[in-house]
Amino acid sequence: MAFKKDPQVFGAKITEVAFGADGASAVFGGGNTLPLYSFDAETRHRPLVGIEFSDKGPDRSLPGLAEFYEGADSLTDVAARACMAQGADFVSLVLESADPNGDDIPSEDAAALAKEAAKAAAGSGKPIVIQGTGNVDKDQELIPKIAEALQGMSALLLSAKEENYKGIAVAAVTAYGQKIGAESSVDINLAKQLNVLIAQMGIQPADYVMNLGTAAAGYGFEYIASTIERVKLAALSQNDDALQMPVITPVALDAWSVKEAVVSEEDFPEWGPREERGVQMEISTAAAALAAGSDAVILRHPASVKTVSELVTALV
Amino acid sequence: MALKGIDIFKLTPKTNCKDCGQPTCMAFAMKVAQGTVQIEQCPHMSPEALDALGEATAPPMKSFKVGAGGEEYALGGETVLFRHEKTFVSKPLFAVSTSPDEIDATIIGVCKIDYERISERMCVELVYIEYAGDKVAFAEAAKKAAAANRTLVLATSDADAAKEALAVAAEGKPILNGANPSNFEAFAALATEHGVALGVTADDLDSLHDTVQAIEKAGVKDILIDVGAASIKDAFAKAVQVRRAALKSGDRSLGYPSIVNVAALAPGDAHMQTALASVFILKYGSVIVMDGMSYAQALPLYGLRQNIFTDPQKPMTVEVGVYPINGADQNSICALTVDFALTYFIISGEIERSGVPVNLLIPDAGGYSVLTAWAAGKLSAGSIAKFIKEADIESKIQNRNLLIPGKVAVLKGELEENLPDWNIVVAPNEAVSLVKFLKELEC
Amino acid sequence: MKKLFDRVFDGADEMYALAEKAIAETVSELGESAPLSMPNTAYHLANHLSYIKKQITTVGELKDAFEEVKAWNEHGQNLSAVFRTGFGTFMAAEAIEACKYAKSDDPYEGKYHGHLSDAEVRELGVPLVTNDIPGFVVIYGKAPSDEEAVSIIKGYQTRGIFVFLLGEIIEQARRLDMNMGFPVRVVAVGPDIWQVAHIISFVNRAAMIFGAVQPGDRYELDEYTFWRIHAFVNVYEPVSDIVVACGGGAIAMGFPVITNDENDMWAVPKSLIIQKTTEDFIETSLEARDIKLKITNVDIPVAFSSAFEGEIVRKADMRIDYDGSRFDSFEFVRMTEAHEIEDHSIEIIGPDIDETPEGERLGIGIIVDVAGKNMVKDFEPVFERNFHNFINCAEGVMHTGQRDIIRIRVSKTAFDAGFRLKHIGEILYAKIMSEYDTVVDKCSVKIYTKPDDLKELRKMVNETYDARDARLLSLTDESVDVFYNCILCQSFSPSHVCIVTPERLGLCGAVSWLDAKATNQLNPQGPCQVVTRERVIDPEIGIWEDVNENVFASSHGNLESVSLYSIMVDPMTSCGCFECICGIEPYSNGVVIVNREHIGITPLGMTFPEMASMTGGGVQTPGFMGHGKHFIASKKFMKAEGGSQRIVWMPKALKDMVASKLNATAKELYGIEAFTDMIGDETVAEDPDALMEFLADKGHPALGMEPMF
Repeated sequence: MAFKKDPQVFGAKITEVAFGADGASAVFGGGNTLPLYSFDAETRHRPLVGIEFSDKGPDRSLPGLAEFYEGADSLTDVAARACMAQGADFVSLVLESADPNGDDIPSEDAAALAKEAAKAAAGSGKPIVIQGTGNVDKDQELIPKIAEALQGMSALLLSAKEENYKGIAVAAVTAYGQKIGAESSVDINLAKQLNVLIAQMGIQPADYVMNLGTAAAGYGFEYIASTIERVKLAALSQNDDALQMPVITPVALDAWSVKEAVVSEEDFPEWGPREERGVQMEISTAAAALAAGSDAVILRHPASVKTVSELVTALV
Repeated sequence: MALKGIDIFKLTPKTNCKDCGQPTCMAFAMKVAQGTVQIEQCPHMSPEALDALGEATAPPMKSFKVGAGGEEYALGGETVLFRHEKTFVSKPLFAVSTSPDEIDATIIGVCKIDYERISERMCVELVYIEYAGDKVAFAEAAKKAAAANRTLVLATSDADAAKEALAVAAEGKPILNGANPSNFEAFAALATEHGVALGVTADDLDSLHDTVQAIEKAGVKDILIDVGAASIKDAFAKAVQVRRAALKSGDRSLGYPSIVNVAALAPGDAHMQTALASVFILKYGSVIVMDGMSYAQALPLYGLRQNIFTDPQKPMTVEVGVYPINGADQNSICALTVDFALTYFIISGEIERSGVPVNLLIPDAGGYSVLTAWAAGKLSAGSIAKFIKEADIESKIQNRNLLIPGKVAVLKGELEENLPDWNIVVAPNEAVSLVKFLKELEC
Repeated sequence: MKKLFDRVFDGADEMYALAEKAIAETVSELGESAPLSMPNTAYHLANHLSYIKKQITTVGELKDAFEEVKAWNEHGQNLSAVFRTGFGTFMAAEAIEACKYAKSDDPYEGKYHGHLSDAEVRELGVPLVTNDIPGFVVIYGKAPSDEEAVSIIKGYQTRGIFVFLLGEIIEQARRLDMNMGFPVRVVAVGPDIWQVAHIISFVNRAAMIFGAVQPGDRYELDEYTFWRIHAFVNVYEPVSDIVVACGGGAIAMGFPVITNDENDMWAVPKSLIIQKTTEDFIETSLEARDIKLKITNVDIPVAFSSAFEGEIVRKADMRIDYDGSRFDSFEFVRMTEAHEIEDHSIEIIGPDIDETPEGERLGIGIIVDVAGKNMVKDFEPVFERNFHNFINCAEGVMHTGQRDIIRIRVSKTAFDAGFRLKHIGEILYAKIMSEYDTVVDKCSVKIYTKPDDLKELRKMVNETYDARDARLLSLTDESVDVFYNCILCQSFSPSHVCIVTPERLGLCGAVSWLDAKATNQLNPQGPCQVVTRERVIDPEIGIWEDVNENVFASSHGNLESVSLYSIMVDPMTSCGCFECICGIEPYSNGVVIVNREHIGITPLGMTFPEMASMTGGGVQTPGFMGHGKHFIASKKFMKAEGGSQRIVWMPKALKDMVASKLNATAKELYGIEAFTDMIGDETVAEDPDALMEFLADKGHPALGMEPMF
């Protein structure tokens, strides 16, 4: 008895979402198989890999990162350098200094930084994803300002949450033609509810993506994996159009914040250099997120970006 | 389709004789259906009943053990393709690949990684020895690795080499990996003779399928499917399709655990091997073979494996007790949260980031998150007070400030009554606000 | 009296004449080829673009377009002709203004705002679309006094309403040094009525930007302005014809006009409202345009946060103790008609805290009246039950109990900070208006402290409590049109769905059909969704095709079929938070029920946790089912298998708890008296043999019934 091939191709598909302006754009979504199952049917768009940098500059205490960004002092330089990372489909600015728990710089200033980075990225041919502070009040004010500053660039702005989606969705998408990420916290029903609410603001499916939540490997990642898997199954096998948006997972912040990537080599000599630990942590987390079904991941280290991008190339 | 408890009950003698150790036949039947008790425990089942049950309860994927003594590991037995459907049961085992020449260095390297994380031992379970043309050296290497208390994978497609190695290492129940469409007869005979699990590979799924069936026919029960090293894409496609055929299409000839050799898929590239191992932890790798295992790789990979292979209905818990953070001593404030591992990690991480010395108190809260534990009555003013008393906190710590999670602010009043000497402080609702809160806290 | 139509037409003629003159002058001054545009906009003359799809860029094009605009002023004697004339008037006004901008980029030299840039349209448009700004008002004319002018503007400002000013009121506000400008949400647009064109231009651009309304699509434009732009107009007397013509256009867009001018004025319900008392303009306007204000802060002198929920006010710290266990007390929500309520009124009837000696104990009665278009009586108890959570959040205030057994304590510290009874009213007002804004439009609070009042009122509210209980009892699965699902627990039990019916509450015991209904109406996207039950498959077992479809979808494909009244055929699944589990006891043909609190073993040979591990997690286990305590006495409890007469064993505590209701059900359905006496418990049996003996002795009906499998 021969092996019975039974390709799993669905009637439904993930929505295609494009972001970025002419000559510096990217598309994700569009698939009608489970993620990375290129043996079932040809993959429409390969998952995207992005490289993130902070407006406060790279952590130059990490030798590899310092070398990569050597000589890149201004935000424009850093953004342009990030664009050169091998395998990066897009770049992503983290507006760290706008965080109310940190420097809390005014939204206008943060928006100007976003514009500077976006211009530099566009000049190097890469679209940009801007990550807000995650603080719902600050983002509610900040993201519309960024949207205004980046008019015409069709940037992807993260994130709109249940508490602040209205103003962000309307300002970013309707008023200024940007794309947004809808962020919910690791629960398929919350994700769906937020998507429905955003749709009710008149936002079209091609204008937003989902961030279903993030965690580093070993830190409750099973919730992330299962949520992404359930969302993909609902989108594809049940044709649930409120869950068909592509999924973006910014793994860098979590991966670089866990103990394994934070403690020094002096304190844990057997663990080896900190930079390598952080790189491995983000590679593992990103690869797992992609295996679960994420359509895009955001990483910090060029070495991680290179590997994860090669992984995608090898699989699809 | 698994049998329901009621259907199993119908086949029992219904005498409530308790010979199975259960108080009633109904309790026995329900537990058999649940998989926590074996049907064989009942001495009074009729052969017809056992036959009927055997067929119906046969799992879609074979489950067996490799290794011996303290190094025995279960493989296979999965019933679902996605962990949210039920539970993944057999965590993938990690192997480090080596040759007879490098065996000593490999063993030293392997033994360096051995630690505990949330009550689970994290180590490289298997040593994967590749035959390099010298049968004696191969057998010698097998002996050395066995002496280091590691279970072996003997990788060779040369039946003679396999024979010599098995002669010295069969006792440790290694995996013999090397059967293929052209040599399977000899390998099947060896595996049966020594009672070891057999790894089989083939270029395509058709011949793989045929070869597995032939090996089954030859009497081998414990089989692993090596997805090969033709390419990353091919290995992934095989791993997924084999598992899907077994669990979704009911093809029992493919209902076996897999061997994924990421060392061969990305030779010399530790980063890519981590990436691949991560993918195969989610997608159906059973034995994952690496070039080596550094701490930088082990920390995320074992953490990921532990996450993915938890029971979705039984969350991971940390041990009850006092955890001093940032060098906290008896004069440092106390903060309390639940024993759900995820909550513990998040809270302890934020406290670490704040730099403020805090004694983190973990009572038994049933492994639930804060709100769920509170709603289920597992985290109450009474249970907290009891914990403080039983763990003898008041004599260990002099500071009498206790931070409680913002989500259970409602407990404050009752806690003040139960713990009259303590100053109860309500912390923020969300962990992200904790750093700022602790820095500004004046206690 | 001059007809309203004719006033519109005469006013339009005036505006057209002014426009024609302005265009002629501009042509002669600048020439037809001179460029003409409004500054900082991509929408040309937005009113012309919106209404006649013309992209005007030169003086000549404006002149040519005016010929087409004239056709809009047709004086037909029907409403649509009047509305067209109103829009025509706006285009004429825009032509007048455009001529000024043709000559100068800043014709008002900073004195008036004039044209709004696209950036300003977006800045103001976003909060209007999201309702963060609940609406905007255009005020024209001269207020009765300068003080009143400032007072109405500030009145709107404090309610978050954006204010556009036209005409003399601007000078009035300036005389009293009122701070105006875009950032403070008061814009002095211009001195004449024709500057209204800038406000209309703002509206038209908002419709194109936010509503994707295409130029020339009148239908979509009207829909958008009516539903999405919450605007209205206030005009002070005297109102001239040209203003009436503009009012016609405003009304056509769905913006009501409120004026105090009665001369030659015709009231049109909801559209043209005559309000002689100018001080009441605000309230009349908000009601006419259906604008609800968002309440965000609770105006009390102590902190308000969930962190204070668990605070206990002890005797020694207490300033006053309202004690419902000794004195007549109650809290009560009552739905009434909107006109009977003065919104935000808080009345204290009887002595306040500061008029009562320290440490005193006495009674308190709280009546909250609510009204709203979508309000239904069934929500009354839902709001009422939340008083506890609301009041407890105030620092130094403690609340326990509900209905007529409540206790409220206020601490000395809270009292010293100024906390009085009216602040309880403020809390309830603010929380009800914010939490239930989808159904409550108006709310007022009355707080009683005089013993005689309390005695009287308690009798009244008790009648309502009884009526509510009776209604709950009278609700049957057959008497309602829809059921609800509840997926609150999916965060930890991903494939479980509860179907909640009047006779079957959620298995956690916390979600009744009314609760689910309220949850759904208050939060239509939330965890409780409507489940229709139209296509019946088997009414006895309780299977409906549409219920199954819903279960399939909301369990994300994990469950295909669920029966509501059977424990054998596709029984409802459980998340794990069930109050009770029932399981079949095969020897007696009956079922055993065990509640979470019971720690001992059951005659099935299993404890609650053991049974729970087989029943939870969204798996169907025929013969076993999780449920709420109240379901035991329901007539639908395992109706398919013969109902509650199958119950052979329950822990004693549970039996006592449900006895009166279960006995009533058994009497009604099976004619059995004191049925619970026949049911075993842990005091008579913990194993099947002893149980059988007991049941045989009592002649339990289950023994004579058909086996269940």
